Amino acid sequence: MTRVRTWFNTFFIGGAAVAWLAVSTVLAAPFLWLKSHEKDKAVRKFVYIQSLGIVFCMRLASTGLRVKTANRPDGSCVIVANHASALDLYTVSAFGFSNVVYITKGWVFKLPFFRYVMQSAGYIDAQKTSPADMLDLCRKAVAKGCDIVLFPQGSRKDPHARFKSGAFYLAEQLGLPVIPVAIAGTQHMLPAGSWWIRPAQITLKMFEAVHPQNFPGELGHLHMAQALKKQIMDFVDKEENL
Amino acid sequence: MITREEIIKRTNDALKKEFEFTDAQLVPTAQLKDDLCLDSLDAVDMVVVLEQQFGVTLRQGYDLRTMVTLNDLYDFIEKLARAHHK
Repeated sequence: MTRVRTWFNTFFIGGAAVAWLAVSTVLAAPFLWLKSHEKDKAVRKFVYIQSLGIVFCMRLASTGLRVKTANRPDGSCVIVANHASALDLYTVSAFGFSNVVYITKGWVFKLPFFRYVMQSAGYIDAQKTSPADMLDLCRKAVAKGCDIVLFPQGSRKDPHARFKSGAFYLAEQLGLPVIPVAIAGTQHMLPAGSWWIRPAQITLKMFEAVHPQNFPGELGHLHMAQALKKQIMDFVDKEENL
Repeated sequence: MITREEIIKRTNDALKKEFEFTDAQLVPTAQLKDDLCLDSLDAVDMVVVLEQQFGVTLRQGYDLRTMVTLNDLYDFIEKLARAHHK
């Protein structure tokens, strides 16, 4: 039964998801292209709508998708999440974050089609940008009311990989609260290196925001990374071992 | 004076605690950037961690670009420890 469901998920729901991304982009592109005022904001809103569509497809492909949200503070935040599947990129939309700037690895900016969307939305290439420029770009994004999204593990290879402290250093420097997000189940639905979309239980959990001031000292950002990784991964492990 | 074995042990203990490395990863030939995936911010953090561990100032003579492997880091700390002892 699981095999039939995997075939259905991959060819019908996966196909529908790809078609949704392609058709919505073709239809929206002329309007976004012609928009002269706040084009980047419009593209981010468009990506949010696209992401909601993908989360809907994930719901159809899953054996259940739960979203556990929390109150967010006023103003911009840094959102950090664990990362074990390509699907993770879309899940932030499930919490209603509609105006976000992603900081991602350089290779994503080389993907045909995606790179135009990412550049237009003002997303930041982590590998091409120096730390000083990164801070500057993030300050500009925050001035536009954006939230900053990072996956501190950097890659999908090891679901329990260390959280690098860059995201937390950024939050410390910008004086922004950090919202931890746990993504459980996507690594079973679409693991790294696989094209098969398996049925799996997905749980998306947003925790209360944490302030960098709670982690004082020269290594505050490093200790914040460790504490938030523990909070997120404890939840993920508990959910995935149910 | 602190021995090289003690330097290796204390360095590895500090790196395991703060950067979640395992014993298997912390071999002397491990490359800081390519094998341990330490980025520029990690390098700065590592200096602070090691300063706290050894109670000496490392940051003035420290340059990640000149240190390729973990062994280079041990050498650097050993050299500092010798200079400190004199």
